[in-house]
Amino acid sequence: MNRKIGKALVVGAGIGGIRAALDLAETGYGVTLIDRAGHIGGILSQLDFQFPTNGCGMCKMLPLVERDASSQFCLRKGLFHDNIDIRLATQVASIKGQPGHFTVTLRQTPSGVDPQRCVGCGMCQAVCPVEAPEDFNAGLSVRKAIYLPVPHSLPNTYVIDGSACNGCGECKKVCPTEAIDLAVGRWGRFRILVVDDEMIVRESLRDTLIEEGFTVETAESGASAMEMLAAESFDLMLTDIKMPGMDGVELITAAKAAHPDLCVLMMTAYATVETAVEAMKIGALDYLVKPFDPDVLIPMVVKIYDAFQAAADYKLEVGAIVLCGGTGFFDPAQGKNTYGYGINPHVLTSLEFERLLSGTGPTGGRLIRPHDGRPVAKIGWLQCVGSRDLQVEADYCSSACCMFALKEAMLAKERAGGDLDAAVFYMDMRTFNKPFERYRLKAETQHGIRFEKGRVHSVTTDAATGSPVIRYVALNGDEHVETFDLLVLAVGQRPPAGTQQLAEMAGLAVNSWGFIDTLAFHPACTAARGIAVGGSFSGLKDISEAVIQASAAALESSRVIHASGGSLALEPSSTPTFRDVSRQPPTVLIGVCTCQNRLDAAMAPRALKALLGADPAGDEILLVDGLCTAAGWDKLEAHLAGGQTNRLLIGVCHPYLFGRKFRELGRRCELDPALMDAVQIWNVEPASVPAQSRSPFRADLSPLRMGLARVKKSEPKPVADVSVVRSALVVGGGIAGMTAALSIADHGFPVVLVEKEGVLGGNLRWIQRTAGGADPQGLLAETVQQVEKHPHIRVRCGNRVTASWGEVGRFTTAVENAEAAVETIEHGVTVLATGGREAPTRSYGYGASVRIVTHKELETKLASGELNPGALNCVVMIQCVDSREEPRNYCSRICCTASMKHALHLKEKNPQVSIYVFYRDIMTYGFNERYFTEARRAGVIFIPYEPAGKPVVADGPGGDGGGLLRVTAMDPILGRPIEVEADLVVLATGVVPELPFDLSNAFGAETDTDGFFAEAEFKWRPVDGLKEGVFACGLALSPRSIPESIATACAAAQRCLRILSHEKLPAAKVVATVRQSLCSLCERCIETCPYHARSLGPDRDKVLVNVAMCQGCGDCATVCPNSASVLLSFSDSQMLDVIDAALDRV
Amino acid sequence: MVKTTQVDLKDQDLLGALRGFFKAVLEREEISAILVPWRLPMKNTVMPTLITDPQQLDRADPLSPGFAINTARVVSRLTRRASAGKVVAVMRPCEIRAFVELVKLRQGRTEELVIIGLDCLGAFGNRDYFRWVGDDAEASTQKFYRAVLTGSGAAMDGVDLSRACKACELPTADGADIAVGLYGVDTAQHLLVQARTPEGENLLGKLGLVETQEPPGRMKALEKLVAERIAFRDEMFNQTRAATDNMEKLGTYLANCVNCYNCRVACPVCYCRECVFVTDVFDHEPAQYLRWAERKGAVKLPTDTLFYHLTRLAHMSTACVGCGQCSNACPNDLSLMELFRSVAHRTQAGFGYAAGRSLDEKPPLSEFRENEFPEVVGI
Repeated sequence: MNRKIGKALVVGAGIGGIRAALDLAETGYGVTLIDRAGHIGGILSQLDFQFPTNGCGMCKMLPLVERDASSQFCLRKGLFHDNIDIRLATQVASIKGQPGHFTVTLRQTPSGVDPQRCVGCGMCQAVCPVEAPEDFNAGLSVRKAIYLPVPHSLPNTYVIDGSACNGCGECKKVCPTEAIDLAVGRWGRFRILVVDDEMIVRESLRDTLIEEGFTVETAESGASAMEMLAAESFDLMLTDIKMPGMDGVELITAAKAAHPDLCVLMMTAYATVETAVEAMKIGALDYLVKPFDPDVLIPMVVKIYDAFQAAADYKLEVGAIVLCGGTGFFDPAQGKNTYGYGINPHVLTSLEFERLLSGTGPTGGRLIRPHDGRPVAKIGWLQCVGSRDLQVEADYCSSACCMFALKEAMLAKERAGGDLDAAVFYMDMRTFNKPFERYRLKAETQHGIRFEKGRVHSVTTDAATGSPVIRYVALNGDEHVETFDLLVLAVGQRPPAGTQQLAEMAGLAVNSWGFIDTLAFHPACTAARGIAVGGSFSGLKDISEAVIQASAAALESSRVIHASGGSLALEPSSTPTFRDVSRQPPTVLIGVCTCQNRLDAAMAPRALKALLGADPAGDEILLVDGLCTAAGWDKLEAHLAGGQTNRLLIGVCHPYLFGRKFRELGRRCELDPALMDAVQIWNVEPASVPAQSRSPFRADLSPLRMGLARVKKSEPKPVADVSVVRSALVVGGGIAGMTAALSIADHGFPVVLVEKEGVLGGNLRWIQRTAGGADPQGLLAETVQQVEKHPHIRVRCGNRVTASWGEVGRFTTAVENAEAAVETIEHGVTVLATGGREAPTRSYGYGASVRIVTHKELETKLASGELNPGALNCVVMIQCVDSREEPRNYCSRICCTASMKHALHLKEKNPQVSIYVFYRDIMTYGFNERYFTEARRAGVIFIPYEPAGKPVVADGPGGDGGGLLRVTAMDPILGRPIEVEADLVVLATGVVPELPFDLSNAFGAETDTDGFFAEAEFKWRPVDGLKEGVFACGLALSPRSIPESIATACAAAQRCLRILSHEKLPAAKVVATVRQSLCSLCERCIETCPYHARSLGPDRDKVLVNVAMCQGCGDCATVCPNSASVLLSFSDSQMLDVIDAALDRV
Repeated sequence: MVKTTQVDLKDQDLLGALRGFFKAVLEREEISAILVPWRLPMKNTVMPTLITDPQQLDRADPLSPGFAINTARVVSRLTRRASAGKVVAVMRPCEIRAFVELVKLRQGRTEELVIIGLDCLGAFGNRDYFRWVGDDAEASTQKFYRAVLTGSGAAMDGVDLSRACKACELPTADGADIAVGLYGVDTAQHLLVQARTPEGENLLGKLGLVETQEPPGRMKALEKLVAERIAFRDEMFNQTRAATDNMEKLGTYLANCVNCYNCRVACPVCYCRECVFVTDVFDHEPAQYLRWAERKGAVKLPTDTLFYHLTRLAHMSTACVGCGQCSNACPNDLSLMELFRSVAHRTQAGFGYAAGRSLDEKPPLSEFRENEFPEVVGI
């Protein structure tokens, strides 16, 4: 494979980290992916269902380019990619260097269990006497001190919770693989020897240190200390100076001579301080003056430990760093209003409730009260707990909680079979992403979720039932008291623990709430070049946004690595050559792991013979003791290299671990790894078997029979590839298109940028300022200049795409200029950045009066001076014009913040002006919330309205369209109609896409019901088209702010780079092919292929497969009745043989 | 859209009227040829025949109870690629339905084709027909259609309609461009000719036929006929299901099969260029047969008999139009039509699909619906 020189570090292995790591790995970089937890997946390992699909689908993030470099299975379980080195329980200890050349120190927290040895049998936890709250179930259940961090990881090894472990050693006794080392506690394998002739000092010191979790031994004299040092290894010696016989100084001299690495700390009475100082010259690190306080001792020991540990730290040279630290959550028990959390056990956080719904949760997914097991008939969700709340210093929205609550309510409804009263108490229902408004509608109409607008004041407890009781004031001022079986608090985001330290290490600023600060227009970039931010680390996001941000961060990293000369230059080609075995009869070397002689080596050959029968292909059997060890693997390799066999089958305990090993072995033995397979013959018995009679080593050899049947008929053909035209076409020259073009071109690939208008810039041309005070015109000027001067970008303004053919790797597109001259462009990838525009409207009398304007018009008129803020008395703003109702039933996401921006600007220029904003839900998500707060502070009046009772705009005094306007509406808080005389009405009409059908269709891209680009998958592939090689960004994708558009552009560019970085896209070994002589040309395979990888040949006489687009799903083979369509490695005869082998009785 | 006309009979000669109608069609300049059931000159056997000379239409016999093969496959060959001229095909309703399936499977095209469909009077099984027809085919056909159209039934001379026809609840040519109506029509005087598509209307308009109304009794006559057929069909389903509701019974049901694969050759919708069962997929290794024999002590050869029929059911039951040619082709009188129709009825109902009903409905396996069969997929 094309290994690149560049290397990156991704910190945090949640979905953001996984996405960034995979993006970089697919592009060819080496990636080190670390997480401080003992598993990957971040918070999503706890969430089984995610909005808006209410399912998972994380596997859709698996690589599409060079699929075989990665294992193809559930990403929640594990990630195995040739270019990704995963280090768990690992944190960053330091970052040094400059962009392109960072030196990072990584520190691993020892878990006490050797992951190489642990087989996950669980015998240890069966005997562990200590119980602790189970983090995985958000503390709703208990687990042992030795436990599995998540139930589904691969490989799933136990870890010891050092703070809970009492060190009794029961687990160590029963562990069948000797995987447990209790000495490796909280302080790792750090051993201390205390030497003092006074027993009381010795023992009190020992106890103090043990209490801190250290491993301590004692000696009563210098001589016995020397004996102990000779017998065992110690890392630190604490010694008294004045001792009978060999004194402290003598001891240090002797000990340092024999053990130069030993650290020494002196203990001395005041009188001998000078001696101690002398002792430091011969090697003691420091001294303590007796009598001393543990508070002095412990930090000193910890400091020595840290220095000791630093020697074991792992140093890594990387070109760039992506921080995907995820998010933390507000603890309501710490708030001024606890909402009963921590007091009433029936008040849960949203994460706790999520675990309650999970099949792996505390109740196995049964919807009952976790505290008393009683049935649940009524649940209330309280939004904005720890968000949008100045009392807890959270003047921000946590962005995802509204949708999270809707999802939980819907799932709860489904789980309860419909008889559940599910009510959501909210201030504004923030459904600001493309599909979310319809999701809300579904929750309300199909699932019957109750929406109650208003903030809950307090939660008390019903004395009789213990159920929580809420008190709230409805919009009309009526006070309500309602009792629920369960309350779920939508806890807001907080920076995750350690953010501050990481920020300091990386030299980054944090914002006023402690989140990492990013550049105004580049949400993935920090002030420190080379250190990018992905996922939710700079503020909570839904999956789709987190994934976009992660890809954008990957792009920024790639750009820095590339600029520093590191990357995308291929290392000298080392395309493996495999011997041609296609004409040889299959002969399989069967390597069977005897797992430390647990398989009887004397009996095994006969048993295997009986099992595999007289199959001439499976004659060669090699028993290896420990195929997981280097020695075992070497033995296998020697046998394979020296023998005549042309296939390999191994029987092991964890087959999924061997993908990379096979590829390396294939390289060395010149045998195609497609001809190798691993099956599981060693099993851990299921938990249903009683622990005492359970054996972790149950051998079942029968999978070998199936494996033999399969590997015997594996295709020895070399896999095909698709050559790539290494250039890109970007359609649309707005900020998204320009950013995408620059991002690709900065990696040295030619880009043609086509813009239908005469100039670049798109919507950015009329945007004068942002709510945050950034300068869009500066951005525009700078970007246009970069684009126009870029040696790799060819700009074609005033041009349009008229037609396109082709697929990933080679598109041929016709572009026509104003004079109708057509140019044909060849490109390997396509980015659709065709943008959007302010939606036109006829509502509220728009067009009848010059005083009724849209946002864009207001912005333009303010900029030109046509509108003087000082001349205004009263401005009315109406939100959601023609939006969030059919046919345009989506939120345009930017209008609320735009209204805040304009309102604050007008108020600034003319503090006397009255501003009334008629709204449905204010969508100032994330850190935009502060503009809403500022607007209210500035005196802007916000009046909610319902779609059924929209405000009415009519001519006011003056008449005839030129005079004032009269706006009437029902004020639900006053409960009576109100009337405003306005000299300006501003309509927030929202965003509509500009993605003409002809254009999207030409590239095989699909559009959604609203005309936006339809992503391959909203959550996991948010900028990809279903057809590989076609991507979208900016407003063509969905309504977005400038920085959000830029993030999608970077993400789309990154997705392109995965492809452009290859001269040829290699197919995977599992791809579809066509046996042309059998094909009846019914084209069912073409219709069914979800990846558009099949097409009819130019003469319409054969079906072709693009092997780079084919993902090996096998749909085509399924619909083909006579197997003219075949999935390589899953041929009919192969599968029939495998089934036969599975059914065969011994 | 239905344009209804009538063709008047001379001397109560229904066959003659139809032949005259076909001639009028073939004489149109834009029509290159007509495919009709035609009596072979050497024998009184009726076979689909492509005719360009109008005089040859005197041997056309669209009302014969002979149904040797399903014409859909022939029409598929005529239309698979663009041809030099427009062809008219005279087809039975089940043939039209099979052709619709083949078009959806890209095995035929409708662009240069006009389908004339007749109300189907039913057919005898091949062996019955060849035995029954005798030397005077004209008289035999007249005897047959008169018996059927006067309501005295098709059973005669010890033969009767095939079971497939008796169970057929779709006797009208709904999918044709031009449909010829016989049931409920005074066929002593005239026959009904209806255009059902713009294509049909275009052609019919040029023939100068008298416009008329559908006779009031037609609907009723058809309802009665269909009710009888459905009753027969449902009884057949019950018997077949009882005989095949487990693997053992199914094995017994198909025990006489000799793996000749005639049924799939005769099947109009089995469209594979080469059936998977005759490809190398089923070239088992010699050692494999021995292993099988060893496992059970005995293995019937050739193997894969049950597997073959189950596979054909899996592949084709959603496209089965119930024409019965599988039973017709079976040398050992397996009740294949009964099995296929019973299974097809359920598989098609399962997907809300009816084979041959409309060109606009995609075959079930070519269409992905996200929310389908929650009880099967579990989500």
